[in-house]
Amino acid sequence: MDIAALIHAELTKCRVTLAASLPDDWVAPLIRRVDADPAITHVRVARESETIGICTGAFLAGTNSVAIMGTTGLHCTVGEMMAINLRHGIPLFIICSLRGTPEDYQIYQEQQGRRTFPMLNAYDIPYVILEKPDDIPRIPDVYNHCRLQKRPYLLFLSRRLLKAGQVQ
Amino acid sequence: MNMEIREVMSVLKQHRGDAIVVCALGTASSQWWNATRCEETLYMTGGMGFSASIALGIALSIPEAPVWEINCDGSLCMNLGGLLTEAQQAPKNLKHFVIDNEVYQTLDRPMPMVNQHHSDYAGIARAAGMRNAITINRVEDFKQKMQEIAAAPEHYFTVLKVEPMRDYPPVPPYDYEGHEMKYRFARNLEKKWGRQVFGPRGY
Repeated sequence: MDIAALIHAELTKCRVTLAASLPDDWVAPLIRRVDADPAITHVRVARESETIGICTGAFLAGTNSVAIMGTTGLHCTVGEMMAINLRHGIPLFIICSLRGTPEDYQIYQEQQGRRTFPMLNAYDIPYVILEKPDDIPRIPDVYNHCRLQKRPYLLFLSRRLLKAGQVQ
Repeated sequence: MNMEIREVMSVLKQHRGDAIVVCALGTASSQWWNATRCEETLYMTGGMGFSASIALGIALSIPEAPVWEINCDGSLCMNLGGLLTEAQQAPKNLKHFVIDNEVYQTLDRPMPMVNQHHSDYAGIARAAGMRNAITINRVEDFKQKMQEIAAAPEHYFTVLKVEPMRDYPPVPPYDYEGHEMKYRFARNLEKKWGRQVFGPRGY
């Protein structure tokens, strides 16, 4: 089962034609899928905050977009999301690895696991966690909900979901 | 002696044509509004450093539209890594201007920019891979070069050296912001460039 391919197919249903990304190893397979899609303009960035501006510009120009990053990068983007998206009511769809959970053995993700949800709750930024492959078809509804909410919206990819992709 | 910012804005105004404009917060936004009252412009009040990323997203989304980024040196320095991203994409329809007055102008009393007098932003841009990255100090040169920049079928990065202002306004002069800024700007893009930004129910 190719989880990245399934997510990519749902992004296509959402008519996403622009992606801005900076990889961590969990979202790298999805970024490679997006990069190989000629229907999607893929912008590699130097810092995750750039994805906030690029996807905001895409929205203002009528283009459906997605930002893809890891949890550590998400923490770098908060000031921009507050000053640009929350302030102006601009939707921003972000796919992010959910690091720092009990299934994540990396010591350097420990703080991300403790701080991410409190941070999002403090900024009133909604999120959905994909836990298993059967959750992936929810993506178009989540994308639409992001538009309705007119704010940043996180779609987290859990380790459990990504591990399911390794079981044939 | 560098240029006066009013001279710079006057020259830009003369050549804008149909360009969609994104202005960094502070001097760029305030002075472009004062010169033009243009509503096909996104005036930033926050997100320092990332107006250029917004302009890049617009330029990639509407390749048939000329898109101008009017940046400032302070904002550019907040996101210098963005020059790599912009150089990699180098959209032909994007012209990036940097108002370089070497100070943080919006304070009650301006303070020096980091590395004041020693930063060569066009040099940094060229090193990042931008083919057309230049610095202009004199208004006569700017008037002469601007026609070429505006008409060029390729990406341009232009640093405009200006003197700090002595009568900088304490608050942004434009009389709308926030959600209204989003709607006015994007509705103008919908009308002029035939894009659908908002659905039938306004979101």
